[in-house]
Amino acid sequence: MPTILFNLGLAFMTSMMGLSLQRSHLISALLCLEGMMLTLFLMLTTWATEQQSSLLFSALMMLLTLSACGAGTGLSLLVTTTRTHGSSNMNNLNLLQC
Amino acid sequence: MTYAIFLFGLCFVFGLLLVASNPSPYYGVLGLLMASAVGGGFLVGVGSSFLSVILFLIYSGGMLVVFAYSVALAADFYPEAWGSRSVAVNLVVFLSLLVFVGSGFSWGLSKKGVGEETVDFGGISLIRGDFGGVAILYDFGCSVLVVSGWVLLVALFVVLELTRGQSRGSLRAV
Amino acid sequence: MHPSITSLLLIALSTSTIITMSSYHWMFAWAGLEINMLSMLPLISKEHHPRAVEATMKYFMTQAAASAMLIFASTINAWQTAQWDISLLTPSTPMMMLTLAITMKLGLAPFHFWLPEVSLGTTNSVMLIITTWQKLAPLAIIILLHNSLNHHLLTSLGLLSMVVGGWGGMNQLQIRKIMAYSSIAHMGWVVMILPKAPDLSLLYLMLYIMLNLTMFLIIISTALTKLTSLFSTQNKSFPMMILMALTLLSMGGLPPMTGFLPKWLILQELIYQHQTQMATLASLSTLLSLFFYLRLVFNAFLTTPPNTSNVTKNWRNQTNHHILLPQMMILSLMLLIITPLVISLF
Repeated sequence: MPTILFNLGLAFMTSMMGLSLQRSHLISALLCLEGMMLTLFLMLTTWATEQQSSLLFSALMMLLTLSACGAGTGLSLLVTTTRTHGSSNMNNLNLLQC
Repeated sequence: MTYAIFLFGLCFVFGLLLVASNPSPYYGVLGLLMASAVGGGFLVGVGSSFLSVILFLIYSGGMLVVFAYSVALAADFYPEAWGSRSVAVNLVVFLSLLVFVGSGFSWGLSKKGVGEETVDFGGISLIRGDFGGVAILYDFGCSVLVVSGWVLLVALFVVLELTRGQSRGSLRAV
Repeated sequence: MHPSITSLLLIALSTSTIITMSSYHWMFAWAGLEINMLSMLPLISKEHHPRAVEATMKYFMTQAAASAMLIFASTINAWQTAQWDISLLTPSTPMMMLTLAITMKLGLAPFHFWLPEVSLGTTNSVMLIITTWQKLAPLAIIILLHNSLNHHLLTSLGLLSMVVGGWGGMNQLQIRKIMAYSSIAHMGWVVMILPKAPDLSLLYLMLYIMLNLTMFLIIISTALTKLTSLFSTQNKSFPMMILMALTLLSMGGLPPMTGFLPKWLILQELIYQHQTQMATLASLSTLLSLFFYLRLVFNAFLTTPPNTSNVTKNWRNQTNHHILLPQMMILSLMLLIITPLVISLF
């Protein structure tokens, strides 16, 4: 089991780094966010299966629902940003920099 | 089965690495699709095949269609694959960072040895845990159901409200 | 925005905070935080101009990453200890990550960059929600967990954000941005005292929300945006400017006003626990915040009308006073007299 945890933790770290070091496209950042949620789903499912506990699976459905909602909202923000800023590049989001 | 799971896990990390190394969005979607497919295989190996079906259906059927649409919205003139220089540099940097972080992570986490057996739920004819767990959602896990439905409703209005402002501040209509 | 949609979003905002506060299970706490974030987004981008949309994007990115980190940390914790309850945690490595995620949600120092930018893109009333109500859910989690979090990390993050909040607000000209940096500094106080005396941090949070509410009600009712617009605001309502100056001094923590009460008790507690260096650092970093409060005060009513100002006179003289303002003003100026009651309570 530590191997699996190690593996999935590495996957999460990769997506997190991709999200935080992302510089070109907004949608790539959203993809990294989706990758994070995917990794979380795998981690929780593996843990719930290992615990042989059926009750946790209903919580997993909530995880899926919320990550779908988050992804949808991110995409609508992408559309809105394309409307207002003309493109969806990250370096266009510089109106508010301090 | 242990080795299969280990292989799937490695492919999963690799797929996410392909997403995270900042290529053009087309290739990023490809990497995420690969990661979700491999993740489904991973879950089959671990023992909950029903959730793997759900995962694969949601990710490839639902999200990636929408993602393909949005990727078409945010198209590049000169798409960068993993061969191009900046992305390749990112890949190498991320790999080395992964080795660095991973060694610290494994030092902090795994007190036990590497490579143990996986756990499997019962056979086909029994009541399987993941089926039952999802079915529980409609019985005494109804608070989860209510909260999820409420979130979906709120998210619907949020999306409608966010994409509404066509009249103000639009440089071009998409 | 249609009023029914606004009310739906506000209901989602309030219920999600309550869900997070009252949950024992990590998944529900996380769900509450996520609904909170989702329902906040249309409120931020209400005006739909490019700055508002950009602020929404930045808010979404930081909050989504922070809540994903939070559920990741609790998942690793569950793998290690087979425990999903919030209240039954033990100090461990993932708790460090959880602390960082929550400080990212709160806008504490190393992760504070989103807060001033979001503050610049939104309206005054939404900024009021972000600096008060949105702090409640992460602080509820962090107060529930204060025994199992890393104390050194919390204290050093708190001290750092006090200094950074004071320093960052020093050269700002936009009032909302100044308020955002002041929020960073005050959250630093709340988090710094949390491992030592959680009661005091609750008290500080309460009084900070009160002071912040007063300040934002004044800002909303006089439609202040920039430091230069303060010159002409005294034509609108001179007594309100004087009271705003007093409220600002109260936020800076000067003695006869309310803001002195939590800082006094916190410094006393620190000295009782033989943490004199920390008390010195905390009170010195408040001086930084006091500097920009004093600059607001100076611009608000020390430049009296006989002096010529280079600013065009504000022609919209009407102010819309909020009904809550007088009560909040009294509370935020004169609450120091309840100190014996507070001491006897804690």
